[in-house]
Amino acid sequence: MYPRSLVTTVVALGVAAVAMSGVPAVGQAPRPGGVLNVTQREDSPQGFAIHETSTISTVWPAMPCLSNLVIFDPLKQQESAESVVGELAEKWAWQDGNRSLVLSLRKNVKWHDGQPFTSKDVKFTFDMVRGAPDAGKLRINPRKGWYENVEAIEAPDPHTVVFRLKRPQPSLLLMLASGYSPVYAAHVPPAQYRTTCVGTGPFKVKEWRKGEFIDYVKNPDYFIEGRPYLDGMRYVVIKERGTRVAALQAGQVDVSFPGDMSPTSGEQLKNAVPGIVVRPTHENVNNNIIMNMKKPPFDNAKVRLAVSHAIDRRALTTAVHQGGGVVGAAMAPKPHGVWGLPEKELLALPGYGTDPAEEKEKARRILRDLGFTPQNPLRVEMATRAIAIYVDMASFVINELKQVGIEATLKQVETAQWHAMATRGDYQIGANLTGIGPDDPDANFYENYVCGSPRNYSFYCSEQVEKMIEQQSAELDPAKRMRMVWDIQKRLEQDAARPMLNWRLDHFTTWPKVKNLVPHQSLYNWGRMQEVWLDR
Amino acid sequence: MKTYIAQRLFVAGLTLFGMSVVIFALLRLAPGDIVDVLFSAAGYVDPSERQLILEELGLDEPVWKQYVTWIAQIFTGDLGKSYRYDLPAWEIIKPLIPVTVELAILATIVSVLLGVPAGVMSAVRQDTGFDYALRVVSLAGLSMPSFWLGMVIILTLVAWLGWIPPLTYVSPRENFWLHSVQFLLPALAVGYRSSALIMRITRSAMLEVLREDYIRTAWAKGQAGRAVVWRHALKNAILPVVTVIGIEFAFLIGGLVVTETVFNLPGVARFLVEAILWRDYPIVQNLVMIIAIVVIFTNLIVDLLYGVLDPRVRYGG
Repeated sequence: MYPRSLVTTVVALGVAAVAMSGVPAVGQAPRPGGVLNVTQREDSPQGFAIHETSTISTVWPAMPCLSNLVIFDPLKQQESAESVVGELAEKWAWQDGNRSLVLSLRKNVKWHDGQPFTSKDVKFTFDMVRGAPDAGKLRINPRKGWYENVEAIEAPDPHTVVFRLKRPQPSLLLMLASGYSPVYAAHVPPAQYRTTCVGTGPFKVKEWRKGEFIDYVKNPDYFIEGRPYLDGMRYVVIKERGTRVAALQAGQVDVSFPGDMSPTSGEQLKNAVPGIVVRPTHENVNNNIIMNMKKPPFDNAKVRLAVSHAIDRRALTTAVHQGGGVVGAAMAPKPHGVWGLPEKELLALPGYGTDPAEEKEKARRILRDLGFTPQNPLRVEMATRAIAIYVDMASFVINELKQVGIEATLKQVETAQWHAMATRGDYQIGANLTGIGPDDPDANFYENYVCGSPRNYSFYCSEQVEKMIEQQSAELDPAKRMRMVWDIQKRLEQDAARPMLNWRLDHFTTWPKVKNLVPHQSLYNWGRMQEVWLDR
Repeated sequence: MKTYIAQRLFVAGLTLFGMSVVIFALLRLAPGDIVDVLFSAAGYVDPSERQLILEELGLDEPVWKQYVTWIAQIFTGDLGKSYRYDLPAWEIIKPLIPVTVELAILATIVSVLLGVPAGVMSAVRQDTGFDYALRVVSLAGLSMPSFWLGMVIILTLVAWLGWIPPLTYVSPRENFWLHSVQFLLPALAVGYRSSALIMRITRSAMLEVLREDYIRTAWAKGQAGRAVVWRHALKNAILPVVTVIGIEFAFLIGGLVVTETVFNLPGVARFLVEAILWRDYPIVQNLVMIIAIVVIFTNLIVDLLYGVLDPRVRYGG
């Protein structure tokens, strides 16, 4: 029996923790007004042109200006099919045997330049993104693959839009809900979004001082009554990490940059500023190993498996990421993600077992069978991006590989060259990071694992897996689909298609006065800010 | 004098031409270009899209043609367009220059105010405890990188006061006090390092001059110590110090990268590094040329100052 005072204290601390967690506090009515200062790690690389990039450095500061058809509920921590809510679309329905998604659009929505928003804008945007003939063209189009299944987009009247699909695809709605899927104005050239923003979002761009800040003011014509709560926002570019942490501590910024805070920085801030809110937040970004299957020795699945067995993922998480990571397979692990493998099945995969010595022995056995011994080790070159978070991971992996008889030398590749090199296949093995927009199997598998997909740096290509991916994509029964997605993940790890090392955890930090800013399990989808308010 | 200046300007022109070739060539020799960086942010590369962007930016042209276009642009006063921002390069470069120039001037003032008197006093009291103390302080200044000192200043302020200087540029017209604080702290961090160098140069120059016969004569004639040291000795020892001050100032214009980054000041150096990483050729090429012009003209001004400070210096024709 615990003393009554101890129980009371524990309960009180628990309640306080929940109240501080950014979830709308019970009994606290949102108060309008105030300016939120938000950290920005670098100047937005593509301005507000979200469709032309994948980096969070653009998505995060550009989201408040734009709107989607649908979006993940900003106040729910876990994104899923159930958390999708309307944004420019008031309601939607699947028709024609789930081959048509019919969306009814809000009326009286205006672009920031005063022009009316209509279904033409939606058709213009998504025809352009899917690369339809006679549509506008994006300079760079990283998510064209998301819309391969879209046969046509129709705008029968100004307030209705229909996505006609080749086959049912429940994921379409989740991809449309991602921060990567804003609607552009048809009357604005897409290139203009690189310098200015004409959106329908809760905030209008007031000023973008290059390399310094982006200033937003409240959009008085925003289509949701009473939103946004804030009068404005400033995204302050702070290049130096130490200065970013100091700026948070000094209260010059109220919110950290998503994906930027390590457990150590979070701890340091918590010690320095009582009451500051630090939340371990899943990023939907994984650390992984890419192996070029077009070239020996990694065209041999056994060699790839040996690599996967050799790496102690838990030690990597502790030693390199200071505990800021979770071990999982190709989909975000539970409880953060929806589609992650159950623990038991994960532990049975090559390299994921809890006994690293046993896993390493398996790796040595495979290599021995292939003729590699300590006297005759397998020599490879490990490429990675010349950025600390990549190099630290690669160095750890090299040490792990050495223990099983793989001698890897580190080759640091300048950032400008990294993706070009990986896409060309000018490497043997690499330490890589992959971010995925929504926590959704289609968004992940079609981008990273199907034959010839744009980010399939390993050149993995399996007809059988591709079929499995197509089948899960069309499956309407959620429970059945879940099992299919698990099977795909197991198969990907058994083939060592791209062994996952861990999934990154951010220690997202806000001042306690910041309310209703709820981080989701993917850092790309919750930057709209219309629900955020300041308890001043 | 006129001939000398004309000669120097001719050499400056040649130097700038050489610089333009070197920077242009080096940028093209570095692996990757803006298109690679753009695709890197998208996480993939599409060869046909890549080719279209190269054409759009004129990067598919032969390299010599790109060089000629750039030089022609300079002569017409058009610095081209930033690849990254899709805006005129001058529009981006212009607001950066006053920030860096102000910081460099302030840092130079700090370094002179600290370095010259310390060097003189150290020389006058050679081998005393005071001299040793000053030498230790100056050695520390030389050993401590200014960015490290800058970070220590930031961390100390935040730990002790829970406050740091503003992280977005505050113009003097907006708030003079905040503006001064924003610039004074980085100027101290940078100026301390420079002052250490100036102090050492001043000390050694002063030690040499203090042993000259005319100084001994001045002492013997019973002139006041202050007059001997500051009027006679320092005036004769100042030439190498002025040279170092000039070099330091010129260096600061392009060498403030880390200080500008730590204090989050939107200056030339920080932006230059960013532009190099982005392979934003129009920004890098033009910024380097601007820095080169500042360095060349600072040196010229220093050389001309010699004549003012020492009438014995004559400028040959």
